[in-house]
Amino acid sequence: MMALSCLTRALRSLTFSQPALLSSQAIAQTRLGTRGPRTVEQRRGLLTTACLEQNRTLWKQREKYTTNPIGMKKTGGRDHSGRIRTHGIGGGHKQKYRWIDFQRLRYEPNKEAQPFEEKVVEVRYDPCRSADIAMVAGGSRKRWIIATENMQVGDVIKTSGVIGNMAVSANEGDAYPLGALPVGTLVNNLEIQPGKGSEYIRAAGTSGILLRKVNGTVILQLPSKQQVQVLETCMVTVGRVSNIDHNKRIIGKAGRNRWLGIRPSSGLWQRKGGWAGRKIKPLPPMKVYVNLPSISAK
Amino acid sequence: MFPEAAQCLKTAAPFFPKTASLKDLRRLCSHGGAGHVQASRHFGVSRPLTAKVLPPHKPRERVEIPGLEMVTYGERMHFVPGLSKPVNPRWERDYKDPRYYKAPPAHEMALFKEKPCFVYNQRTSALGGLRQALWLTKTKLIPGLPPQLLSLTESPANQIPDQDERVQNAIKHARFWDTTEERPGKEKYSNTLLFNLLHLCATLQSRHPAIGRRILSEKYSLAATWKRGEDLFQIRGQNGFLHNCMDPLPEVSGKEEVGYTAEHVLETLYPVSPTIDLQQVHVYKEQLNCTGFRGDYPYPHAHTLYFLDGADARYKLQPEQFRAKMLMFAFGNALVRAHTIYGTQPQPVLDRPITVQAIGTNGRIFQFLVLQLNTTDLSGDDGIKNQVWLDENVELYDFAKVRPLIKKKQVKVPAGLTGYKPEVFSKFLALYLHGAV
Repeated sequence: MMALSCLTRALRSLTFSQPALLSSQAIAQTRLGTRGPRTVEQRRGLLTTACLEQNRTLWKQREKYTTNPIGMKKTGGRDHSGRIRTHGIGGGHKQKYRWIDFQRLRYEPNKEAQPFEEKVVEVRYDPCRSADIAMVAGGSRKRWIIATENMQVGDVIKTSGVIGNMAVSANEGDAYPLGALPVGTLVNNLEIQPGKGSEYIRAAGTSGILLRKVNGTVILQLPSKQQVQVLETCMVTVGRVSNIDHNKRIIGKAGRNRWLGIRPSSGLWQRKGGWAGRKIKPLPPMKVYVNLPSISAK
Repeated sequence: MFPEAAQCLKTAAPFFPKTASLKDLRRLCSHGGAGHVQASRHFGVSRPLTAKVLPPHKPRERVEIPGLEMVTYGERMHFVPGLSKPVNPRWERDYKDPRYYKAPPAHEMALFKEKPCFVYNQRTSALGGLRQALWLTKTKLIPGLPPQLLSLTESPANQIPDQDERVQNAIKHARFWDTTEERPGKEKYSNTLLFNLLHLCATLQSRHPAIGRRILSEKYSLAATWKRGEDLFQIRGQNGFLHNCMDPLPEVSGKEEVGYTAEHVLETLYPVSPTIDLQQVHVYKEQLNCTGFRGDYPYPHAHTLYFLDGADARYKLQPEQFRAKMLMFAFGNALVRAHTIYGTQPQPVLDRPITVQAIGTNGRIFQFLVLQLNTTDLSGDDGIKNQVWLDENVELYDFAKVRPLIKKKQVKVPAGLTGYKPEVFSKFLALYLHGAV
């Protein structure tokens, strides 16, 4: 008996929740008209939250530059769906992110287009990368940059965007456009497109070599011996990146790898395919990042 | 009852909206059964309940073309695919409610100015340290306190009876006895130590009645403005304790020495600019000068400022930056006094230089500073400079340990107070008595 009354009540209440066929006006009427003291209020199915995404990446949405370390959220190799996309990442010591300014030729708001100098205030270890970082101060701003090999506190480093006729005798740590440097210099923090910020040669101890200059472009050798052609206005810093003995360190124990956030690889024995083993191949062709005018346009 | 009801409902499932799952139905059943009305929010009913969450795509950018009116579905009162979303005018409350006040952006404020002003406040940690403060205040640094100050405490009339013992008791009280826990924290003991030492110095009032013409004040807001080069600088903030006096302090160095400062060249901070780490503001009052007290205050002259290093745990300063802060605030007090006496026009030489003292401590290490303001003409780098005598990093005692430091079964540092240096307190007393003797 009780079950039947329950069922009928439920069925009655459920008949109200037929969503898509009624127009909103009719629904408003039914809501106002049939609203008794004890009826269950029915609503259309609405998405009542605007954004269902978690705040995983909100820590890196800051717009204003700051030198203060920013707290990081570790992903554990998981992507937005929650599944592992990259194996072997997880755990490790907590790290704070120091926002590095990779665009070396960034002028201060009032002083555009003039070469400027900056003083190195501090050189320290960065948990987020293999190289050391340096806090440099120039004018009325401070920023973090990747430190080069022999950078000490108190050094003055120069940044210039001017390409002269003669090649500049560059000191280590200075930043110049590629066209202003002599052939054969060791460089790091390479920009592929002028003004974008450096994306190549940033790891500890690495350096690229300027091979030759060809009318408006320059050919460099990256640390992987791959050759690359870029515009000569791309900025680059001179010297090797700091922490040159990084590749000679000995991890020593499994625990140290875990402190670095590296999880053990799968223990399942897997037959090695064609990818394994030593390969001796010719160098890949030179990668050109310059839009040269096509010969066919006549 | 429920499983049967659920079974009946399951057989009738095709008649119900697709996604109302068993859980939802059970919820609705129980609500109906209880007769209890509670509106239940249920999220998207037109999709499967478990799915991969795609990253949220950014909404399409709304392009405003002047002259073209957007056709919206606002009039139709319901969504129509193809028409744009109506934009309603921004609703403003017609009465003023202080809980929901939104400040206008900086460029709409009444006091907005194009030229920025650089403000030094009590939280500023200047990168250049003392050198930056010296450049900003156009001051020459003289290491060590002036000799006539140090000679004040040499005569026995200016010494407290049982001075050493009483000072050591004061230190022990601040470091050991002033707590119910094992040891007092740094903010607490530095505060207690300062007040104990001040109390000791004040016992000399019977011999020097001029000490009674002073008052100690704290949490006063200082504001001073000056021009240096082409930039406008301001000091603002509540910095520490201030000893105010009815009479001004006598000047420390004579007119000759003041004249010699004109040859001194200020250290430049190149490539760092002296405005680094200062707060840049575009909304400010020009010519803002405020001592922190009203015009008819009976103790108008600033005598000594006391700074505590560990006061605010959020803004810890390195020793160099701490000294810079001491210098800047002492300078601020002196400058405001000069502006009230001589007016806001820059004066190349003041007839009576204004002297202000400052003492900073972290509970053990003291910094003594005496500033003499000789000029308010700070725009150029040449001309007469102000002078500052600085005695830095003097330790009142070496260790004050609750438990002894034992290494390899040998006592390296015994418990209690060790390494007390009496001359530091005599400097403290000399600065206190300056002007009253």
